[in-house]
Amino acid sequence: MTDLNETGGVSGDSVSSVNAMSDETFESEQAKRSLEVERRIAQRRRFLQRAQQQGLALVLVAVFVIMWLSSPYFMNKDNLLTAASVVSILGIMAVTETLLVIAAEIDISIGGVMALVSVLVGLLVGDGLNVWLASGIAMLAAATVGLLNGVITVHFKINSLVTTLGTFSITTGLAYVFSGTTTVQIQGAGFGFLGNGSILGAPATVYFFVALWLLGAFVARQTTIGRHIYATGDNFEAADRSGIRPKRIRMWLFIVNSVVAGFAGLVVTSELASSAPQIGDPYLLAVITAVILGGASLTGGRGRLSGTLLAVAILGVVQNGFALLEYSSYLQNLVTGCLLILAVLVDQFVRRAER
Amino acid sequence: MSPGDTPLLEARNVTKVYGNVNALAGVNFTLSGGEIVGLVGDNGAGKSTLVKTLCGAHSPSSGQILIDGAEVVFTSPKESREQGIEVVYQDLALANELSVTENIFLGREIRRGGFLGRLMTMDRKAMHDSARETLESLAIEIKDVETRCGMMSGGQRQAVAVARAIMWGSRILLLDEPTAALAVAESDKIAGLVSGVKEKGVGVILVSHNLPQVYELCDRVVVLLRGRVVTELHRGQYSIEDLVSWITGAAMHKTS
Repeated sequence: MTDLNETGGVSGDSVSSVNAMSDETFESEQAKRSLEVERRIAQRRRFLQRAQQQGLALVLVAVFVIMWLSSPYFMNKDNLLTAASVVSILGIMAVTETLLVIAAEIDISIGGVMALVSVLVGLLVGDGLNVWLASGIAMLAAATVGLLNGVITVHFKINSLVTTLGTFSITTGLAYVFSGTTTVQIQGAGFGFLGNGSILGAPATVYFFVALWLLGAFVARQTTIGRHIYATGDNFEAADRSGIRPKRIRMWLFIVNSVVAGFAGLVVTSELASSAPQIGDPYLLAVITAVILGGASLTGGRGRLSGTLLAVAILGVVQNGFALLEYSSYLQNLVTGCLLILAVLVDQFVRRAER
Repeated sequence: MSPGDTPLLEARNVTKVYGNVNALAGVNFTLSGGEIVGLVGDNGAGKSTLVKTLCGAHSPSSGQILIDGAEVVFTSPKESREQGIEVVYQDLALANELSVTENIFLGREIRRGGFLGRLMTMDRKAMHDSARETLESLAIEIKDVETRCGMMSGGQRQAVAVARAIMWGSRILLLDEPTAALAVAESDKIAGLVSGVKEKGVGVILVSHNLPQVYELCDRVVVLLRGRVVTELHRGQYSIEDLVSWITGAAMHKTS
């Protein structure tokens, strides 16, 4: 748990030092009183932040144990690997979405981008193109959608929720129009490896997720880019004044996020060995839920990839468990929705504790 | 300032017209290194307009701005920053979720050497030590520079913003109402900090309504009234009552 905490954004430990200011430095009673208030606020916030992170770990343990007890098939190596494989697709997208949310933007067009990529690959392969070349072209289309999201949001100052709702609708619409709502079989040239391949006994998708997560955590925690992403979401004005070009950062995050969603679309297409316009449908709500549940704040500046990892794991266990117990997928939506609202409430409490 | 010295910053006959309002009607203003100049005046006297003109947020309608005797034309605050003019605003300056060190180094992070540096990896230790040193040299008391700025008091945040400006070589510091939102004890600390900055040879323009503080800190006070400089008062040659009567315009009726 501790090592996970260190990989995220701002360290919680630094908070303790605030209390250390010596009392002699403040002569007036008024100052002493305000110091006392600040100390109490700091304590409360520290507690809530810990509760947010450790609460997530506790929830993960709880759902894990519940599923273990409820289904004899759950604690089985093959089942766990399958669950990891399924949730990795969601996880891949949650990594970049987390960074985008930290920069105080959101992208809800990812499901549409997945569908568009899938359908384009099907279309191009149907025309006799090599599947990898088709994938490359489809990824360019995904990057274009990201560029569009970025330009509209950043330069025309449109709320990204609205922008990406629009591009979600457009990409989904295009996917259905291009495909005529039909499914196209895609095979050969080793394309199946993306979705169904395995390396050393573990599904390839898990490796994709782990690699992207490690990269994301490294960027967020260790690099200047990471600091600039946090600063952009935290205080755009200050970020701009310090010369770090927050607009460009948001722009790139939109593009990267779309490309990653496109990649997820390829993986799912490969897994199903067919392209279809519906493939993005289950992912949008799940990805946003993972990001928010993981503790990234929609107001920006705050979030950790360690939190996102825990949240992805929780969703994976819940999804898998519900499938094993043969509960309806609608019930799963209900639980996911409840988790999302709970997560937003906790975030709200943490932020209110600062006031 | 002795005659013949080139002032660090000079405004010559600067005007600013908004529609048919003369916000600045030909202002002359100078600032030398190691000098604290107070800028006072009633609301609407033109203080903010002058500050915005000096830092490049506005361009003057006519007149010149000179740094080290050479004319400069700023089209944005970014350009004035490159010339060493830093405006410290209380709330805009810092990212609250980042630590003191991270804020001081925002946009100018120290990278590690070699391969990791090329990957844009930060050298946290070097940044930490350097931030410490700067804060100590300005006698700013912050126990741990890894504290998040959001956890600090208004005065401490202000001090960090000033330290940041000094660290990056600003020669001219514009403080716009730096103590307006602070408790008395904290306000005194900022006053101490400003004096420390002056000793480093930085020129400070202090815009404030806190007249006792202006009286105590400033080497010179420039009083604006209806877009004009009505007087300049030098340390020890005026009283706070004089200052008030100049600000309200009463002194002009007395003398004329």
